[in-house]
Amino acid sequence: MAEALSQRRAAGFAPEAPVELHVNGRRHRLHLDARVTLLDALRDSLGLTGTKKGCDQGTCGACTVHADGRRVLSCLTLAAQCEGREVTTIEGLTAPDGGPHPLQESFVRHDAFQCGYCTPGQIMSAAALLEEGRADSDEDVREFMSGNLCRCGAYTNIVAAVRDVAAAGGADASV
Amino acid sequence: MSTVESRDVRGSRDAAPVIGTGMDRVDGARKTAGAAGYPSDVQLPGQTHAALVQSTVAAGRIRTLETAAAEASPGVLTVMTHRNAPRLPDGPMTALGASPPAPLRDDRILHHGQHIALVVAETPEQAAAAARLVRVTYDTSDPVLGLDDPRAERMDNPWGMDADRGDPAEAVRTAEAKVSGTWTTPDNTNNPLGLFATVAVWERDALTVHDSTQWPTMGRVTLAKVFDVPESAVRVLAPYVGGAFGAGLRVWPHVILAALAARVLRRPVKLVLTRAQMFTSVGHRPSTVQHLTVASTGTGELVALDHRCTSGVAMEDDDFEPCAATSALAYACPNVITRDVQLRLNIPDPTSMRAPAVGQGNFALESALDELAHSLSTDPLELRLRNYAAEHPGNGLPWSSNALRECYEAGAERFGWSRRDPEPRSMRDGDELVGYGMAGVSYPWYAQPCKARATVNSDGSAFVRSAATDIGTGTYTVMTQVSADTLGIPPGRVRFDLGDSDMPQSPQAGGSGLTGALATAVRDACRGVLGRILDLVRDDSESPLRGCTIGDVTVGGGRMHLRGRPAEGESYADILARHGQVEVTADGASTPADAAELGMAPAGAFGAKFVEVRVDADLGVIRVPRVVSAIDGGQILNEKTARSQIIGGTVGGIGQALFEETVTDAGTGRIANATFGDYLVPVNADVTQMDVLFVGDPDRATPLGTKGVGEIGLVGIAAAVANAVHHATGTRVRSLPVTLDQLL
Repeated sequence: MAEALSQRRAAGFAPEAPVELHVNGRRHRLHLDARVTLLDALRDSLGLTGTKKGCDQGTCGACTVHADGRRVLSCLTLAAQCEGREVTTIEGLTAPDGGPHPLQESFVRHDAFQCGYCTPGQIMSAAALLEEGRADSDEDVREFMSGNLCRCGAYTNIVAAVRDVAAAGGADASV
Repeated sequence: MSTVESRDVRGSRDAAPVIGTGMDRVDGARKTAGAAGYPSDVQLPGQTHAALVQSTVAAGRIRTLETAAAEASPGVLTVMTHRNAPRLPDGPMTALGASPPAPLRDDRILHHGQHIALVVAETPEQAAAAARLVRVTYDTSDPVLGLDDPRAERMDNPWGMDADRGDPAEAVRTAEAKVSGTWTTPDNTNNPLGLFATVAVWERDALTVHDSTQWPTMGRVTLAKVFDVPESAVRVLAPYVGGAFGAGLRVWPHVILAALAARVLRRPVKLVLTRAQMFTSVGHRPSTVQHLTVASTGTGELVALDHRCTSGVAMEDDDFEPCAATSALAYACPNVITRDVQLRLNIPDPTSMRAPAVGQGNFALESALDELAHSLSTDPLELRLRNYAAEHPGNGLPWSSNALRECYEAGAERFGWSRRDPEPRSMRDGDELVGYGMAGVSYPWYAQPCKARATVNSDGSAFVRSAATDIGTGTYTVMTQVSADTLGIPPGRVRFDLGDSDMPQSPQAGGSGLTGALATAVRDACRGVLGRILDLVRDDSESPLRGCTIGDVTVGGGRMHLRGRPAEGESYADILARHGQVEVTADGASTPADAAELGMAPAGAFGAKFVEVRVDADLGVIRVPRVVSAIDGGQILNEKTARSQIIGGTVGGIGQALFEETVTDAGTGRIANATFGDYLVPVNADVTQMDVLFVGDPDRATPLGTKGVGEIGLVGIAAAVANAVHHATGTRVRSLPVTLDQLL
């Protein structure tokens, strides 16, 4: 990571700026090319590769993370825009007791993924749905999860996984 | 939801079998934590980043190519073009046809989106910015783009699979009923969510490539030939692949370019395709024009089938897509002709996309049969049952398994097919016209040789591996189950690993052929280990197992004992410890079943698909609220992951039926909708009730009784949807995707 940063500096890049990112409860002081998206900063500079790039155009949802508790598409968000915001990625998603989030266990139990590439984004969206109170019916989950593409076609299992957690009381549930 | 026929196919064991159960995926915790490492996640010390420059015309020659500005751009390390790149040979012939031609061969442009330069820089942003500074002009020529272009070079019978039985022309002439028509399917793009990525690094003359591939073994062979190094000097790694659906079956030019740049720069090179490049660089399902005639007696017994399909292929590349040929094996029909034709076009090369060829051919065949049934006032389900092929239509041998009748019957029962009023436009619910449609599927059998290696460690755990891939299909999990049951070691103490070409060679995850080939090899390797453990104690006076062969023992709980005498045995750990062994390892292999030797025709999966559509009577909006898939997949290894394969395929089928169409601009050959915003795929709200039934018995051609289920889920959905749309609306749509404008 430090090496990547020094390489960027060695490349003599002009539009570089200091950025302080708060990710999963930790502070990171970075010097980033001003064009770097939050997605690329997470993946390339912080090594948090759980957040995925599926389109880089805001159309697939694979890069979904939380910024100040709200879902954002990290590929359409510049890293520099996130100064002072609390960013949570799949690596920082846990149950209140620090173990796996109930959604993570429910996704496994319901086989709510296949290749697994869209899965971190699906889970981050689902976690937001639970907070937003939008997981109270299958129809709601289908509608509000429709920004997260799954090309393997695990949709029905995703709905079942999210509904199971919602029915058990959401993120605080011990499922 | 599902019923799974089970029988003891695992030899003698005394713990409850895990084969057939819906065990959770062994890689589930890693995938849901974001901890599974896909090729695009790889970061190596000193890694550089590459960006592609692609042709903006479809045919012609590069006139000028200015790279100075890109080379002077911050952070840029090299700009490779046909002018400065070393010449490379093409890759070898593979089990799926020729390798793609080597990149940067010369100044010729053969399709829009052809790679014409690779820019490598210190950061991805620098590479992308510099790639935009490469200036190119072209001497263009008029591209050959359409299947109706008379200039296109024509290849007849390109796969040698054209079928001829009886006298179809005469049978059609004298038939009491017939349907004849033209069906078309558009280009579809695989579009796995995972952007294809390659990270290549050379250490002296040894190449390691992390790649989005379905076939590491082939990758190693190909890269060794292209770079003229021994196969042992090449390692291809793909422990996780973000979907592929066929796109990962080839060593594409961008993979070669990344490896070439890494060799030139002597630094690791990472290349991640953009979503737009995923449309031009890693294949697609080619469009087809299909002329089909089905003819029958007045009571619906088929007397003739005439299926002719034309599809496109790139100017100097290869694709296996015999869409018409598979129709010859679907039904009992005495007079058959199939003709497949390929035309050379200025297009990015097509390649397999989930259920290649069958996915397109089945749409025409099962649509035509629905039209035939309608013209005869016969239930479409009854028509299929009447023409059931009790023997293999090609060689007349009995099937190794065939529960297609049971698929029809169980699926119809579950769906409530008997509630269907045969009259089109007769079923309505408020503003919605309701339609029921169905289709049958006979998926072709496919198998390749496979190897695996199994180890039992001194602590009693097991490590089993093969150079296969798990592209989401569940291979990690089902092979853990096969290993656990064969060795008698609990699945939690078995590690199955894959995705590394240094492991024993495996065929591709494709053709619905991996599970059968790999499970047989894994079982063989595990039985080999059991044999070697028995060899250790052959003359061991301390062992109750001395002198035993594998037929004398039962395994379970990490130990072996004499059959029927559980007390007379010992654990693997004890045996290895007493004999001073750290591990016991054996190799296993499988070879494809031979029909003549078996006296049977090895069977692929069979299926029956039942679909309900709802069409807004005023607006024509089409929904698919309900699908029932009844599948004969032989022995199901994991009820949960197999069901996921079927529902996933079904979602792909809904995409093919209603949404997916890659649009190529007729003038320029540019793909006009190369984003997820424009190329529509099913989203969560498009998919509601998916019901899967597994019926049938274990297949007799493989030791474990399996048949592949990765592709059959998709096949038949497009036809069943189109047939249901006709039932709902009275309108026949013979052109995919079925869209509302065709109904207004």
